[in-house]
Amino acid sequence: MSWPTDAATLCQDRFGLEICEAEGPLVSADQALALATALKDELDFRFFVHVVSVHYPEVEAIAADEEKGIDAIIGTPDHTMVHYRLRRLANPNRSTDTFAFRIKVPTGESTPSLSGVWLGADWQEREQYDLVGTVFSGHPDLRRIMMPEDWPGHPLRRDYAIDTSHFPWR
Amino acid sequence: MGVDQSNQNFEHPLFEYMEKMPGLDLAMTTADKILSWGSRNSMFVFPMATSCCGIEFMAAACGRFDLDRIGTIARGTPRQCDVMVIAGTITVKMAPRVKKLWDMMPEPKWAIAMGSCAISGDFYRDIYSVVPGVDTFMPVDVYVPGCPPNPDHLLEGFRRLQDKIKAKRAGEWVEPETRPVSGMQMPSVPRYGTDRDPAYDQAQLMATQNMGLGGELLAAGVTLPQPAPQPVQSGEGGDS
Repeated sequence: MSWPTDAATLCQDRFGLEICEAEGPLVSADQALALATALKDELDFRFFVHVVSVHYPEVEAIAADEEKGIDAIIGTPDHTMVHYRLRRLANPNRSTDTFAFRIKVPTGESTPSLSGVWLGADWQEREQYDLVGTVFSGHPDLRRIMMPEDWPGHPLRRDYAIDTSHFPWR
Repeated sequence: MGVDQSNQNFEHPLFEYMEKMPGLDLAMTTADKILSWGSRNSMFVFPMATSCCGIEFMAAACGRFDLDRIGTIARGTPRQCDVMVIAGTITVKMAPRVKKLWDMMPEPKWAIAMGSCAISGDFYRDIYSVVPGVDTFMPVDVYVPGCPPNPDHLLEGFRRLQDKIKAKRAGEWVEPETRPVSGMQMPSVPRYGTDRDPAYDQAQLMATQNMGLGGELLAAGVTLPQPAPQPVQSGEGGDS
């Protein structure tokens, strides 16, 4: 899919980001708030579609070995990838468009909450914190929204044990 | 309470418990029988409908099956209800709320576990957030198995509950229902990363492409794509 040209130009010229065709630009956590504000105020992306976090466990780097037929694997640390998706609604000058960007958050660090820019991000960021464990700094009320308040761990992480005990059923 | 002997067309279920007095316009019964009849035929239902079984409960309450005609009227508050129908998957977060609503209902009260999720959790049983059966935290009188059960199965469940209430009121011993055992066999699919039998993959592929027709497509001469040849283990199966 192709992204709207004005948003792609803004990302490339002002923030120096490389646009990925499939998933949008990869934004650093420092730039996220400035980019979100620019997208909303200048380019009219006022409709917040979703935020989805995906957890990726740590991958150890493996060097290529032609004798054994092994391809090289690039090592990545344990992190979550936070995907944002936005939409602007049609007006007389412009048709409707979607735009997406993503933030890589290493485990133990946090990403700025965008609920100050889009109010609709509030509960969705709580859901991502609840299920995946991504910490959104500056969120007004970051607590669990779906699981019970005393639930241990974040169930959609890859390292979450399926037989984690919870009183009194397991 | 008068009984008109001349009008034979007028029948009432209460009459079978009455002893007609010859020559008098009177009938006698016991208070127990009257109470039993009343509680059997006015079971107000609290629909604890959390998922798709709730839709089937609504179908049972609508015109075609019409739960109201046997006196089971759905009410919106547990304070007015006699029977709780748990229709749907109960999650770990929902379970304390269900228990609280159950405790709010006045005695005497009964519970019907409708559908395999409420009975045992079914295939959501092993998920982190699902309670494996509501009888782990509250009593259940009647199990209505199915996924979801048809409205007539639910009506059959209410009839079993009526029998149970009748026997209890008459002071008879009622055998508690046991949780029905599912006939479903859990497939022993090896997890990712373990050794998978290539014959298993081939059988699964054929079953998928044959769409459960029991080999009709194969008999008709339709060829299926063959999986890539597996490397032969050294020391075993050296026939190739």
